[in-house]
Amino acid sequence: MLNIFAIENPENSMEWMIFLANKYAGMFWKGTGLTLFIAVLGTLLGFLVGYVIGMIQDAQTSPGDHVIRRLLLKLIKFAAAVYVEIFRDTPMIVQAMIIYFGIRQAGVEITPVSAGILVTVLNTGAYMAETVRAGIGSIDQGQREGAWAMGMSPMKTMVYIVLPQAFKNIIPEMANTFLTNLKMTSVLNVIAVQELFMAAKTVGGNYYKYFESYLVIAVIYFVLCFAFNKVFNFLEKRMSGKSDYALAAEYMDND
Amino acid sequence: MSETIISVQNLNKTFGDHEVLRKIDMDIHVGEIICIVGSSGSGKSTLLRCMNRLEHQTSGKIMFYGKEVRDVQREINEYRSRVGMVFQSFNLFHNMTVLENCMLCTRKVLHLVKEEAFDRAITHLKAVGMAPYINARPSQLSGGQKQRVAIARALCMNPEVLLFDEPTSALDPEMVGEVLNVMKKLAVTGLTMVIVTHEMAFARDVSTRTIFMDGGYVAEDAPPARLFTNPKNSRTREFLSRYLAG
Repeated sequence: MLNIFAIENPENSMEWMIFLANKYAGMFWKGTGLTLFIAVLGTLLGFLVGYVIGMIQDAQTSPGDHVIRRLLLKLIKFAAAVYVEIFRDTPMIVQAMIIYFGIRQAGVEITPVSAGILVTVLNTGAYMAETVRAGIGSIDQGQREGAWAMGMSPMKTMVYIVLPQAFKNIIPEMANTFLTNLKMTSVLNVIAVQELFMAAKTVGGNYYKYFESYLVIAVIYFVLCFAFNKVFNFLEKRMSGKSDYALAAEYMDND
Repeated sequence: MSETIISVQNLNKTFGDHEVLRKIDMDIHVGEIICIVGSSGSGKSTLLRCMNRLEHQTSGKIMFYGKEVRDVQREINEYRSRVGMVFQSFNLFHNMTVLENCMLCTRKVLHLVKEEAFDRAITHLKAVGMAPYINARPSQLSGGQKQRVAIARALCMNPEVLLFDEPTSALDPEMVGEVLNVMKKLAVTGLTMVIVTHEMAFARDVSTRTIFMDGGYVAEDAPPARLFTNPKNSRTREFLSRYLAG
């Protein structure tokens, strides 16, 4: 049987790709692992940041509340808005440089991976905050009023009524954000994170076969994103719930 | 006269330049069934929403058992947990089943244990004929069914007053009856109710007091027997004649 991984003298691009992928399998695996690790952790923590900021931006005080409480909320809202604006209006690659070198210059020995995760979290958080805000805004005001009218506090209303519905509405956007992050981790090679892009750069340099090397990771990125996309589609369908319901027969006799 | 539950005092509400409520004074006593009627835009819904603090009044006070309900979130929450509200658009929670809709606030606001919240939910759902649908989601119900669940949900809180904001206005004509029947059954239990409605026959037959609103004022406030047969105000007469003719 012909072993396709046993190419010794690659002649065309296809063979070079297989050769490189085979020879540097360890590096590509490590790169894939790190890319996934940063993307997953960065996205999840970023979602958390986004939800908190999105909720803060929706929070309200009533005119009768204590003046300090109202002032504090205004201040927090302003800080949140500044953060969101800064991270949405600058490129992630620049953010990575500034955060990594900024922190090191301040005398803190941060590893490239930690800095990479931090950048991903902050970047995702800023975008997610806007998504969450829009998701919250898309929920009919009547849902809130229904809860308020029974004495639910605005916070409880948010947690039990508004957020679960908003969450469902923004699942596609969350999936999108994750896939974007999976690909955007490639920019972290500028701060020497050993992720997929960095792996391809290194491998390509060894044989001056950049085209083939980058093709290898293109395939890996594609397979990863394609697979996650399918998983998300499946989850979204599952989340939409059953379309029928069972009558509670034990209560059929009403009167 | 029995005890006053809610007292509306010199209430004014403006949206920009538009005066929606003008100098409203109104007392709601225990056991009363008050129907508020009037043409669209006369301020009836806004008055009801002010009563439940969903709308901030421009000036004036809402008193609850003689104590002012101030603009402090905790006081408002406590007040609302004792004053129920049923909406024109039902406002059932879309992310929950019928049973969960009826149990959420008794659990999270009144802090009832699960069994007690469940028993209350079933009791009230049975009363409105919706107990078999506990596993359904709001989107799977008809308008009339949704409104009956909304009424049961409000009753689970054991409210001292129940406010209805045009509860049948969003319903198909054939579903209006089932909701009005539930409300009629409630009326005989002695529950205090304030109902904004366009159902004149219901107001005439069920209310103990009917209020006609016009241009943000309370134009007439009388027992239904008098308001419907011998209205004093010319606007009331005009309004009623249109309804009786139609």
